[in-house]
Amino acid sequence: MKCIFTLMLLSIVVHSYAQQFQMELDSLIGIIESSPVTNQETIDLRNQYTKQALFANPSDTTLLAFAQSTVDLATELRYWKGLLLGYERVALVYQYSFSNPYKALEYYHKALALTEKDKDLESMGWSIYGGIGTLYYEQEEYGKALEQFKKVLHNDKNLELTATANIANIFGSLNQLDSAIFYYNKALDLEQVTNNPTYKANLYSNLSLVYSQANQMDFALASAAMSIDLIEQYGIEFVRPTAYANASMAYLGNKDYDNAEQYANEALQLSEAQGNIFLQKSAWGTLADVYSAKGEFSKALEAYTKFSVLKDSLNNQNRRVEINRSLLEFEFEKERTIAQAEIDRQSTIKTASLLGGGGLLAASVFGFVLYKRRRDAVEQKKEAEFRALVADTELKALRAQMNPHFIFNALNSIGDYILKNNNETALEFLSKFAKLMRMVLENSENKSIPLEEDLKFLELYLQVETKRQPGKFSYHIQVDEGLDVENTLVPPLLLQPFIENSIWHGFRDKDGIGQIQITINENQDMLICSIEDNGRGIEHITNGNESKKSFGVSITENRLKILNKQKNKEGRLQVIDLGEQKGTRVEISLPLERLF
Amino acid sequence: MKVAIVDDEQHCIDHLSTLLKPFGAGMDISCFGSAEDAIAGLDTLRPDIVFLDVQLHDKTGFDVLSSISKRDFSLIFTTAYEAYAIEAFKFSAIDYLLKPVDKDDFEMALQKATDKVEQSQLHDRVKVLLSHISTHNSPKRISVPSNDGYVFLLMEDIVRCQADVNYTHIFTVDGKKYTASKTLKHFEKLLERQHFFRIHNSHLINLTYVNSYHKDGYAILKDGLKLEVSTRRKEAFIKECGRF
Repeated sequence: MKCIFTLMLLSIVVHSYAQQFQMELDSLIGIIESSPVTNQETIDLRNQYTKQALFANPSDTTLLAFAQSTVDLATELRYWKGLLLGYERVALVYQYSFSNPYKALEYYHKALALTEKDKDLESMGWSIYGGIGTLYYEQEEYGKALEQFKKVLHNDKNLELTATANIANIFGSLNQLDSAIFYYNKALDLEQVTNNPTYKANLYSNLSLVYSQANQMDFALASAAMSIDLIEQYGIEFVRPTAYANASMAYLGNKDYDNAEQYANEALQLSEAQGNIFLQKSAWGTLADVYSAKGEFSKALEAYTKFSVLKDSLNNQNRRVEINRSLLEFEFEKERTIAQAEIDRQSTIKTASLLGGGGLLAASVFGFVLYKRRRDAVEQKKEAEFRALVADTELKALRAQMNPHFIFNALNSIGDYILKNNNETALEFLSKFAKLMRMVLENSENKSIPLEEDLKFLELYLQVETKRQPGKFSYHIQVDEGLDVENTLVPPLLLQPFIENSIWHGFRDKDGIGQIQITINENQDMLICSIEDNGRGIEHITNGNESKKSFGVSITENRLKILNKQKNKEGRLQVIDLGEQKGTRVEISLPLERLF
Repeated sequence: MKVAIVDDEQHCIDHLSTLLKPFGAGMDISCFGSAEDAIAGLDTLRPDIVFLDVQLHDKTGFDVLSSISKRDFSLIFTTAYEAYAIEAFKFSAIDYLLKPVDKDDFEMALQKATDKVEQSQLHDRVKVLLSHISTHNSPKRISVPSNDGYVFLLMEDIVRCQADVNYTHIFTVDGKKYTASKTLKHFEKLLERQHFFRIHNSHLINLTYVNSYHKDGYAILKDGLKLEVSTRRKEAFIKECGRF
């Protein structure tokens, strides 16, 4: 069973009932709003409000805007203490409302940066370290969390209690039960805890759980009883559900099934009212054990079923959190790279100006060169990004551009066909053409398609062309046997213009049957596509005023250029003349890309 | 063999009749120009094969299907470009032809329609079809063709599909395994907009049953099964999970 520790939030103690709490909040916001001017006092009040409101209602995401405007106001007033607390509040909002540890960390570090600049603020830094500690604790990076809290413990007497309690929690999570017990007892011995019953009850409750896990059932029961006494005495609703759940486990361990059942049921009711699934799960788990120990098996089964359902739904939540975390990590890395580039740039400027300020001409020239080189690098990066964007757009435009060109050639074929042949075959031809058009439309939507699809398209295209002029040419498509056509990606419609060229130009005025051989091979990391015909030969087609390059070929060249730039690879197009009346060979080599 | 053509445009009827001509005297062709005529005529005609247009004036071919009582023929839909209908045909494994109809496609469809297996379980497949056409948010099934007929599986019950050369093994939430006579690619295209994701050359999984993703490159399903996520699919997979 996973352990449940109530989080020991730094210096946050909720004594009062929810209603009273809300009243306090309302009066706070009243004072803030009625204040005619913004001064240091209103900023302090705003910071106080943010923290209280956050813990009254952690799901209130509107607090972020409020906290950020506090930061802005404090910056305007140059009120550094207020700014530091403002940063901390923004971090807390990110941590608890948005569950975004990276943004939270960023703001904690902004707060820390202030303490480095201003000696007077140094003493406030330790609570920030504590905040970072809880952040690590939540991320289950226990080693790092421990480091932070130990730092706090050694440096700030005021935070001794929270630091000690959190260290105990960390050891509990690490299942180092002896250390956890030691630190809980140490925390309970501290002076600060004597007048803080909430904290005391919480510590006893957690201690009871650790004792249960360490199989020291007597101590577990005693600690649970201490915790519940305090809760009853001071009406500490905040800790009650967890304490009851922990108590029921302690009773179960002592084989006192009636009490175990009673506390588990009460913990269940309270946590249901709270909507705390984690506690509900734990209570049903204890109940299942209690019932089966009592021999009430049908009840045990029922409890166990509930336990399983909640466990599943928790796992689901964990899954979302985990996935969210990887997404955030990704975004964070991206932002960090950009930020690092900016930092580098600025530090170079700094170096450059420092050196220049030294009055040494040579040094300043050197610094300037250094600075310029860095600036150029940044600018180049920006330019590269921009170019990539342009290339993407261009590529899309080129894919779309092929369609009208292809459509008109095909329409010419149909017209030609209707003139020369009967209607029935014209209809047959038309339906093939319609099918071809569907494929062009579908395929040109994508950046790349499986080779299988492109081959299907070529086959259909060749069928259409052979129907158009029967007996004029034959074709053969040969694909490397080892090549997985489903799993290999190619840019759509790349080869078609060359085949079209062979048919329309290569075979024109040719005596005898034309032949097209299409070969697709894999060679190391490249996909080699070749189209060979036995037509007139590319160099010998240009007679008179015919333009040298066809529209399709120049488009393909451009596409390859852009693809090369994007992928930083060497895709190549080669058009080889095999001699007059011997034909043309076109070779395209592409970097091999796979779907899986 | 009795063939019925239901289409509200005469030239489409003519085109199909032309395509049927080479199959000779054995074909007894009846044509219906509206949904009402078809509903009135089909039950008494008891055709072997029906070509049914999707759009029939203000009615649809689906209206015809839901109004007739005997659905024991081979059914081939015809349509020009109704994307939603085409998707539903694929879900229910009902054949369709795109207009203008290609001769080769037509002959293939006709060949399939004369096979007795094609007529089997049409009633159930039409039920699947109509559920996909309806706007109700009821749970949807798909028709899965296997070597001995069809099984009809609730999409939300499918945990994952695994490729086995030209076959696909489908695993459902109740622990059963079905073997379909289609490739994994077929199911990928069918299910990719239904929370399914192809994580690997041989695995298509339902994202609702994903428990977590392990950074070493595999997905863990709710039943504890670990499946490899291919490196090229990793980023898209995480993104898809996040969106879902």
